[in-house]
Amino acid sequence: MKRSSEKAASELFAALYPRLAGWCRRLVDDDETAHEIASEAFTRLWARWSSVAEPQGFLYVTAANLVRDHWRKLERERRAVHRATTEAAVRPQTEQADPSVRLLVQSLPERLRVPILLHYYADMPIREVSVLTGRKEGTVKADLHAARELLRAHLRRSLDHTL
Amino acid sequence: MITHSDEGPDFEPDDPLAVILRPTTDYLGPPPGRYEAVRRAAARRRLLRAAAGVGAACAVAALIALPLRVSPDGAPVSPTVPLAPPPASSPSTAPTPSTPSATPAPVSPEPTDGARPDSSPGAPTDRTVPTRAPSAVPTPSIEPSEVPNSVDAAPERETRP
Repeated sequence: MKRSSEKAASELFAALYPRLAGWCRRLVDDDETAHEIASEAFTRLWARWSSVAEPQGFLYVTAANLVRDHWRKLERERRAVHRATTEAAVRPQTEQADPSVRLLVQSLPERLRVPILLHYYADMPIREVSVLTGRKEGTVKADLHAARELLRAHLRRSLDHTL
Repeated sequence: MITHSDEGPDFEPDDPLAVILRPTTDYLGPPPGRYEAVRRAAARRRLLRAAAGVGAACAVAALIALPLRVSPDGAPVSPTVPLAPPPASSPSTAPTPSTPSATPAPVSPEPTDGARPDSSPGAPTDRTVPTRAPSAVPTPSIEPSEVPNSVDAAPERETRP
């Protein structure tokens, strides 16, 4: 890689890694896993550095997918352990520190999750989100609105459930 | 962090959604050496991908090149298909019956031998006549030795009782 792109990669890492890793920690509640996910996202970005137009959006979408995979893996492990042992011994490990954030990635379909991630967490305006996702700005706004409504409904349901 | 004034958020600050969609406030700095490790991993992955791409290209090229190299020898043969000459009249037909007749010849005596003791009164005379005629025509060499024996033996058996 050329020296200029090396410098750009270094600057990008310094600017985005702490925020991305912090966001991951909020989702997985584990520093080591958050570092692994953020590092893997950067590795995938640099492995195809020349073909990625919007690195920041790529990083967040990749990290969100990795977090979702991590949750699925945890769920599989929990089920396997649950089958082998009693339920009480396993349940405390699966609770996340911020379950409301988990809704964001877990409950939304891919079509709605990506615009939310890019707009609210990757700090991209709707114009850029529309370019990145290949959708019209109006469609992105509608997707964001639909995602918010879905999240609201999920939140309401979970609040009713706890009360 | 996020102030898109032109779009404007659809929720109030006290909206529970604001909790979910609030910007990330906590930062997690990279451990020492993480940047270099990620760069090395990315370079390794790039190399692997390039090698896989070259391998796939070579495989595709081989798959395309091999049939092209093999086909030129076999392709022009197809127009020269003339099937005319083969039916070459009678001499060829004569030997062909001879070979099948060799097999029927040993078979025919067996059923006739088995049938003769059962149907002794009138049948043996009728059957022996047709077996002589067809078997004698196609195979002059083999059948004469076998058929006469069976025919000679049959009347003897029949005449005795």
